[in-house]
Amino acid sequence: MIRYTLVRGVLLIAGLLVSSALIFLTLRVFPGDVAQLIAGTQASPSEVDALREALGLNRPLLAQYTDWIGGIFRGDLGTSLLSGASVGEELLLKAQVTVPLGIMSLVIAILIAVPFGILAALLRGRRGGTALSIGAQALAAVPVVWAGMMLVVVFSVWLGWLPPQGFPRTGWSTPGRAIESLLLPALTIGIVEGAMLMRFVRSATLQAAGQDFVRTAAAKGLTRTRALIQHGIPAVGLSIITVLGLQVAGIIVGSVVIEQLFTLPGIGRMLVADVGTRDLVKVQSELLVLTGFVLVVGFLVDLLHRTIDPRQREAA
Amino acid sequence: MFRRTRRLALISALAATAVVLSACSGTREQEPSAPTGTPDPDATLNVGLVLEPTNLDIRHTSGAALEQILIDNIYEGLVTRTQQNEIEGRLASDYEVSEDGLTYIFTLNEGIAFHDGTALTSADVVASYETVRTDATVQGNAEFASVASVSAPDATTVQIVLTAPNQNFLFVLTGPAGLVFKKGDTTDLKSAENGTGPFTLTRWNKGSSITFARNDTYWGEPTGVAEVAFQYIPDFTAGVNAALAGDVDVLTAVDPNLAPQLEDSGDFTLTKGRTTDKATLAFNNKKAPLDDVRVREALRLAIDHDALIEAVGAGTPLYGPIPELDPGYEDLSDVVSYDPVKAEELLAEAGQEDLELTLTIPSFYGTTVPKVLISDFKEVGVALEVDSVEFPSWLEDVYTNKDYDLSFVLHVEPRDFGNFADPDYYFGYDNAEVQELYAQAQAEVDPDASAELLAEAARIVSEDHPVDWLYNGETITAVSPVVSGFPEDSINSRINLAGVTVSAEN
Repeated sequence: MIRYTLVRGVLLIAGLLVSSALIFLTLRVFPGDVAQLIAGTQASPSEVDALREALGLNRPLLAQYTDWIGGIFRGDLGTSLLSGASVGEELLLKAQVTVPLGIMSLVIAILIAVPFGILAALLRGRRGGTALSIGAQALAAVPVVWAGMMLVVVFSVWLGWLPPQGFPRTGWSTPGRAIESLLLPALTIGIVEGAMLMRFVRSATLQAAGQDFVRTAAAKGLTRTRALIQHGIPAVGLSIITVLGLQVAGIIVGSVVIEQLFTLPGIGRMLVADVGTRDLVKVQSELLVLTGFVLVVGFLVDLLHRTIDPRQREAA
Repeated sequence: MFRRTRRLALISALAATAVVLSACSGTREQEPSAPTGTPDPDATLNVGLVLEPTNLDIRHTSGAALEQILIDNIYEGLVTRTQQNEIEGRLASDYEVSEDGLTYIFTLNEGIAFHDGTALTSADVVASYETVRTDATVQGNAEFASVASVSAPDATTVQIVLTAPNQNFLFVLTGPAGLVFKKGDTTDLKSAENGTGPFTLTRWNKGSSITFARNDTYWGEPTGVAEVAFQYIPDFTAGVNAALAGDVDVLTAVDPNLAPQLEDSGDFTLTKGRTTDKATLAFNNKKAPLDDVRVREALRLAIDHDALIEAVGAGTPLYGPIPELDPGYEDLSDVVSYDPVKAEELLAEAGQEDLELTLTIPSFYGTTVPKVLISDFKEVGVALEVDSVEFPSWLEDVYTNKDYDLSFVLHVEPRDFGNFADPDYYFGYDNAEVQELYAQAQAEVDPDASAELLAEAARIVSEDHPVDWLYNGETITAVSPVVSGFPEDSINSRINLAGVTVSAEN
């Protein structure tokens, strides 16, 4: 187990380094730069170049990369070319919106996926089960943007229960209002992600139903359903943990779109805005943090999986 | 092929599901909305805006988003401009220009202080303007090229001497170049401020809002509201929803197609304001076949401007480089009309019956204009392909590298006729006569005579068809009845909040 953890840890760090180089190079392919944007449409080429020099954009790429990575190793994510603000501080500020949004979305997704997924498995071959499966297929295929718009139309425009956009300026000092403004966005991501997860839960449940230990339990006199619920579901929980890593990535992508739609001042919207203004130092740090987050979640899920699952431990 | 951005697809989807609504009436609201109660001096005004500044350093960063909220509210210059683009004193109680147009003498108002409490003297003005003159990274450096010296004969007088008369100089001083900063200030202007204006910056939550508070020690009239919160809502639909939900008292830059929703709610009065926004369809004058004036004229004749304005939902026709709010404006509608038949004849004459062109357009301008252009050009046998790009890509490809056929952007700067007198500008338009007239207009001391020279040059430009002015933008603002005194014109470049009041809601 210790050896496995070490190997997995080395792989994680190597993955992050490769990601950092990829992120840095990919971003340099974008046309246009921040100096042009600051200078505007009345500036002469010489003015733009003076600005480029002042911002350090004329330095060799390798020097720019090593500066950035060196900073990362010292725990410094750099400063924004445009606002001069510390990227780390701004990420923390925006995380106050995105992290709660992600957690709420994940909880909603699980609340939808687990009961309905198991139900769909239990009702397999009957009309209700088929309807549930088709419903999940359809919901999983809905574009997040469209789902969000429909929810706004229903809950804000018609019913007037929830705010259609924005985040209170007072932030978490007014927790009620903060949660209220995150509900619709979280519901949007939660429904779409939950529908995907539900299909997974259904197939994992069916797979568990076919496992030897469930069949054994059934042979001992439990009904099939009871056997499944008592012995199969824990195994399903294990499989869900594995998929959660993927879900987290899905939720991050979802939050980028949703934060745009609902004008939430979170990491996703900041990322889109920073790409739009070519604030590359900031973008590369933001992307690295997000990538790192997904990789670390994957790493933890793997470790957890090995710890919980008796079969995997024996294999090691 | 045409690529639609997600957000625009979203807006059109909403528009499609909404009831078909009539367009805004074209009449301008002349009277301000009557306040419903007594002004509340402790009120907070919530304003919804679209474009957020990237930082607050107005000295080094261009953009209407900064000027709009910072000038006259946080920072002040010696002079300022009214909604109608007329120049008036601000920090200067009065100013004189010598007969020869070379010497400007400004007298400062009394009791002016920076937000940190330091009194402002003429030395601060001199230091600020010297920086603009000598530092190429500061906004307005190019416009200060004709400044010979800036000096302070005494603590309340500033004297500026030019090397040559410059009719535009005072107007330049109403922009970022003319703002006065504290001499030797160490404030980080990107995220903080130390201006002299009637408001102070209290908080900037990036990606969300900027908050101002009344400056109680302001040297002039105190403001009508205690606090102003600018909320940035980039999505037009979300902005309208925010207004309908009561999150904002004023919504600026309302999408014309969504305006009826606000009007029908009964909670807002809509105003249509004039701007100097010129929706510019640029032709690459240096690239064949657009270097042929017949082709350029044909393209202009092919566009049904009235129908295009109707599709956009707001705006007025513009047939030359100078909009109504700028000096030198005259109606040039006699230069070009809507005449597809003549357009086809001209194209045939130029041997361009099967013309294929590409339009490069920043994606945030939406799909309405490209759609109209595609169908109008198709009528005369021109196939238009649309390349929708991010704004930085437009800056690189079109503005800097001049690698394009047709381009569309809104040129919002007032008095930017000089772009047509600059052969290196991305239009690639090079006419010695226009350059000469423009130089004369700049050097002309008498404003009326200068405007006449500009008008003459503008007519020549329009007759050369270097670009087509699709329309002169109008800005729609939705104002709640509790708000009075909110500006209407030119608010995309200035939102002067000094006279705005919010009445207590009963």
